Amino acid sequence: MKNFLYLLMGGWLLCNPMLSHASLIQEKKCSECHRLSKDENEKSGPDLFYAGNKFQASWLKQYLQNPMTIRIAGGTGDPGFLKGIQANSQKHPALSKKDAGQVTKELMALMLLELPEEVDLLEPLTKGQKAKIKYEFERTFSCISCHQSLNLAGKVRGGISGPSLVNAGNRLQASWVASWLKSPRTFSSKSRMPIYKMEDEARLRLTQFIATLKNENKR
Amino acid sequence: MKKSSPTFILSYCVFLIVVGITGCSEKSAEETRPPLKSPAYLEEATPEPVVVSEKTRETYQWYCAQCHGIQGKGDGINAKFLTVPPRNHTKAKYLETRTDKQFFEAIKFGGLSVGRAPCMPAWGNTMSDSTIHELVRYIRELCQCEAL
Ligand code: HEC
Repeated sequence: MKNFLYLLMGGWLLCNPMLSHASLIQEKKCSECHRLSKDENEKSGPDLFYAGNKFQASWLKQYLQNPMTIRIAGGTGDPGFLKGIQANSQKHPALSKKDAGQVTKELMALMLLELPEEVDLLEPLTKGQKAKIKYEFERTFSCISCHQSLNLAGKVRGGISGPSLVNAGNRLQASWVASWLKSPRTFSSKSRMPIYKMEDEARLRLTQFIATLKNENKR
Repeated sequence: MKKSSPTFILSYCVFLIVVGITGCSEKSAEETRPPLKSPAYLEEATPEPVVVSEKTRETYQWYCAQCHGIQGKGDGINAKFLTVPPRNHTKAKYLETRTDKQFFEAIKFGGLSVGRAPCMPAWGNTMSDSTIHELVRYIRELCQCEAL
């Protein structure tokens, strides 16, 4: 009986630190809708196994407390997606400030070891580049057909099948945007976006442009 | 590079403004037709008749239906946000006036390449030529029409 108690105590002592280290991501059941590792099957929510490469921590922390819609037509895998019905549209749960901080920390630790492209500090776009980029975003690459963005007057324009880019400059890391444009299949084997083979310069310009899209620039 | 003269820069700016001002989501002027190249693969006649596989039908649903609609009627979820509406792939009257080659090029190189709206993206890096040939056939199936 005494031995058994020791065993129980020992087990408890051993398990306790593990329990307190159990992640909040697990506790909040994020993995029910999001892939936290590349080996899992596709899930209804956006992949998070590269969240640390993709998101800006400050945005993530805000989003988790006050979730807003980014994919206006729902997830591309939703059964109702093409019909304009959001079949799986549960609202994203909102977390307390403290939990959002902790989950952000844990998500930012989920990273791919190597990104297809690393982008250094972005120079502001010149006037000429701005005209060029507008042409490319709307015409050469037809981005605007599926993505909402801001036009030169700060008005929201564009299609809805892709995620909105209206606040992408606050949401996404530049290196991730460039990496996605260079090699989308690194991140997702299934996406409805065309694959582009663009010049490095064009990719950088697009990345720079997307970094300028922010809610505060909306008119 | 040679230093460009102010008049050149000015005319370039005017060009950019004129050409760049009209996008897919704003009211756009008539499209200017870029010079058509005629690549070798188009000259080679495809000997065997193209059969539309199940996979190609799924490809249409996955990529094309977001604009062209589930049944190809031009009523996909992006349709109402585009200035130039996605082509209705069931309308024989118009589609008979277009050749398979024009379809192929529109799909592979995008709308601009065949003098149509730039809202139609290029799919040449996303799918193979043989899939695109099948998509052309599939559109002919949808419109129940052939090029006149
Ligand atoms: C982002 C929206 C969008 C997507 C996605 C899209 N299209 Fe289009 N497509 C358009 C628009 C808009 C037009 C009309 C262009 C015009 O009339 O000037 C068009 C026109 C066409 C045409 C007709 C060109 C002509 O001769 O008039 C074909 C063929 C076509 N699309 C095939 C496809 C196929 C196949 C796919 C999928 C691989 C596809 N499209 C995906 C928007 C799209």
